[in-house]
Amino acid sequence: MRETSSPVTLCCRLATLVAAACLIAAPMAHAEGPIVIGASASETGPLAVDAGYHLHGLELGIAEANAHGGWLGRKLELKYYDDKSDPGTAVRLYTRLITEDKVDLVVGPYSSGITQAVAPLFNKYQRVAVDPGASLPDIFVAGNEWNIQGIATSTGYLEGILPLAKEHGAKNVAVLSLQSAYSLACGKARHEQADKLGMPVVYDTTYALPQPDFSSIALAVKNANPDVVVACSYYPDSVGLTQALQRVGFAPKFLAATIGPAEAQFTSAVGALANRIISNTTWWPSLKTPGNAEFIAAYKAKFHEDPDYHAAATYSAIEALGAAVKATKSLDQTKLRDWLMTHEVPTVEGMFKAGPYGIGTQFKQYMFQIQNGDRKLIWPKDLAEAKAEVPYTGH
Amino acid sequence: MFLLLLQLVVNGVLLGGTYLLLAQGLNLVFGVMGVVNLAHGAIITLAGLFTFWFATTTHLNPLLVLPIVFIVMLAAGAGLQRVLIEPIVNSGRKAELLSLMVTFGLAYVLVEGALDIFGSEYVSLPDLQTTWVIGGLAVNEALVVAGLLGAGISGALQVWLQHTASGKTLLATSQNQIGALSCGIDVRRMRAVAFAVGSALAAAAGVLLILVIPLAAPTADTLTILAFVIVALGGLGDYQGAALAALLLGLVQSFVGYYLGGNAEYVVPYLLLIIFMIVRPQGLGKAGRPIWSEKR
Repeated sequence: MRETSSPVTLCCRLATLVAAACLIAAPMAHAEGPIVIGASASETGPLAVDAGYHLHGLELGIAEANAHGGWLGRKLELKYYDDKSDPGTAVRLYTRLITEDKVDLVVGPYSSGITQAVAPLFNKYQRVAVDPGASLPDIFVAGNEWNIQGIATSTGYLEGILPLAKEHGAKNVAVLSLQSAYSLACGKARHEQADKLGMPVVYDTTYALPQPDFSSIALAVKNANPDVVVACSYYPDSVGLTQALQRVGFAPKFLAATIGPAEAQFTSAVGALANRIISNTTWWPSLKTPGNAEFIAAYKAKFHEDPDYHAAATYSAIEALGAAVKATKSLDQTKLRDWLMTHEVPTVEGMFKAGPYGIGTQFKQYMFQIQNGDRKLIWPKDLAEAKAEVPYTGH
Repeated sequence: MFLLLLQLVVNGVLLGGTYLLLAQGLNLVFGVMGVVNLAHGAIITLAGLFTFWFATTTHLNPLLVLPIVFIVMLAAGAGLQRVLIEPIVNSGRKAELLSLMVTFGLAYVLVEGALDIFGSEYVSLPDLQTTWVIGGLAVNEALVVAGLLGAGISGALQVWLQHTASGKTLLATSQNQIGALSCGIDVRRMRAVAFAVGSALAAAAGVLLILVIPLAAPTADTLTILAFVIVALGGLGDYQGAALAALLLGLVQSFVGYYLGGNAEYVVPYLLLIIFMIVRPQGLGKAGRPIWSEKR
């Protein structure tokens, strides 16, 4: 005899079926969802200008990957928050990205100082992070297992300026460094290089931001009368120092600043004072790296401005991460870390290759000079587009 | 050596002139209303960023903005006072705390507005960057203009407060509100005037500051703190004391920055504040009062 189900029983069975379908469908829906890449970005604060390029590179890298079908058949999605150029805020944001938002992958933030603060977090949560904003080598030392440097090291910033200046008869040096992790490493390296080259360092100081006025530092530089002034700086202090030197009526034969002159805003901020300033870059438009021309064209089309090396570094980080995901066919953090630590990836910035403890080994440093409004690569000599114009005139 | 010392003094005096204008608006608002306007730095920054936008868009002299923002902020300041501050003035002892919260909120709104309108980047103007070298002494056009205009506007404020009927009325209100009320002064109106003039002075400081240092929306907090330090060093509500404090700060920063470097220069304002709080809490001026004074 066939039993007839009561309406209540039918409802229960239906509910069970729906629940079972949901349980089966949930992982499938997740598998087909986007791969979420988490990052903090300094949209505000003193690092905002340079970090803006950092974020653009990240956005473009993800957009280009999506245009080519994404990774593992899934689209990519960027989830980021503004860290306000503050390391403490960045730590909170990455914790949120990893533990609450449960992003699939992370990319390191902009600046060495902020990466230094969040790097232990990546080690704690065992999340592989390519760090395209961390030039400071001190992050990639014994104890670090999950951070991989995605840019050339800060000790090489402006490493060509002193040999170049010496060739032109420069005899002594002033080194100015911002109180930040990368700047201090850069300043120390240039000081030691000057000692080795037999160029006395006649003035060496550090300063903090926001600095209300650079006049006193500029006056001290003027009084020391160096042939070369090397500023291991970010954008706002590069502008402030350049203006202050002019205000005290001093123009060294060589004026070099690490970060700032690469950005278009620098020339509009200091006007004619930008002419003949020398600066540092880890990427250049004329480099024959794979995909470089396409990167520049896509960047200009998307953001209506020229890219700089910060953008190239984050774009390259996505290229490296994508290569690892495709090669391992996985989002498993250990597999990705092991692959990235042991493989080379050609990127627009150059060859991505990790050394011991994740330090970058193949990215290179270049120098350019602003010559009548144009930025020309002047070092190394085999890649130079123009010879250095000497002296810096300060007008 | 003499030339170097003279250069440090000139730099310090010019920096002091800019600092003076930075602080006078805050001082006026505090003196009359007993309100520490935490949105002071935001108004300065907003005016500076507007000046940058004006100068780069029109290619006109950035100083043309000065009278415009001064008048606009006079009106806006009066409006803000009526809408935001006046309703909480009679809240008794809670008034100070409430006014801090309101101006803190206003600062956030202004900074976020500046971020949306002008972006978050540091901006700087390449105008007025001529440097004159006179007998070995370098004098920069932007510093001279900012320093002299800053001192000039502060001087005009002094003349208005000391030698005109309306100014004396405002000064009387700042010295003793109950006394002013008993003399028939419309204290409510004076509070609106003080906040309006204070806001206009802050805006004028922003126009001059963008000529001297790079500014960005997030700089607002630093400027509020700096202005507060100058006002506290001068003695709260003491305009001549604030002038002395601004001059002192400019000079000390100039010398410390030269002899001890940028890091030491950065901490000078806060170090001076600590020293003054211990040694001379009433500040440099004669009429100033300590920050914990309840006298109004």
